[in-house]
Amino acid sequence: MFIQGVMMTHVALGVLGIMFAVALFVDVLNVNKGNIERLKKLSLAVAVLIVLAYLIGGYWYVVYYGHDRDIIKAGQWPWAHNFFMEVKEHIFFAMLLLSMYLPIVVYGNVPLTEKPKRSLVLGVSALIVLFGLLMEGAGGIISKGVTMGLIGR
Amino acid sequence: MKNIPMEKYTAGFGLSLVVTSLLNAVILIVKEKNDSVMSAMKAALGHHWTTHGAIVIIVFLLLGFIFSGMKIETKLDSGKMLKYIIWAVIISCVIISGFFIPNLKFTGTMKY
Repeated sequence: MFIQGVMMTHVALGVLGIMFAVALFVDVLNVNKGNIERLKKLSLAVAVLIVLAYLIGGYWYVVYYGHDRDIIKAGQWPWAHNFFMEVKEHIFFAMLLLSMYLPIVVYGNVPLTEKPKRSLVLGVSALIVLFGLLMEGAGGIISKGVTMGLIGR
Repeated sequence: MKNIPMEKYTAGFGLSLVVTSLLNAVILIVKEKNDSVMSAMKAALGHHWTTHGAIVIIVFLLLGFIFSGMKIETKLDSGKMLKYIIWAVIISCVIISGFFIPNLKFTGTMKY
């Protein structure tokens, strides 16, 4: 149960990070004096959530994933590990860096009165959302890879 | 887009993000192609992925502070920075995905 809890926490933190990035994106589109403080908090929340998702997911990957990997590789969807996990674990670093960069951009450029500065925040948050959805999709395929491995036994 | 001067940390860490995203892909290729590098990365922190992550984060922070002190904000603007970031992450993703594409062999039959 602990292992499943760790995995679910990793996924939940990632989903929350994506949702907060979407909220920030919409808030930047409607930026005004009233939502500047919320923008700052949202950018920090995205960074904290994605860093936590990285640390908890990383712990699970290093300590517990080996058993699942063996099941996937021996099963009907070996590419769930050989392609999707390999790509996910490395592309995730780009998302992590984007998330760490987000509060730097927001805090350094509020009140975001100029369009190019708004575009930079919008672009970075959109990339985080896009990468986040890719991570969630790849995670789903990897999870299904384990199921397919167990079905074939 | 109109050329508006950047804030120094936005410029410094933005450029660091560009460099580190590309470095991430380079580290992957080097460690996967070179057994001694892979072994050294496993030995350093117990798992090659842990070492990979530590390198990426440390380089990002280090370069961010170095670039922030180099007055590069006078040579860049937000529009250019966004383009550089988008291209860097796209190139990095294409390299990483492309490297593992040969592993994407679907099996012919499925047993339920």
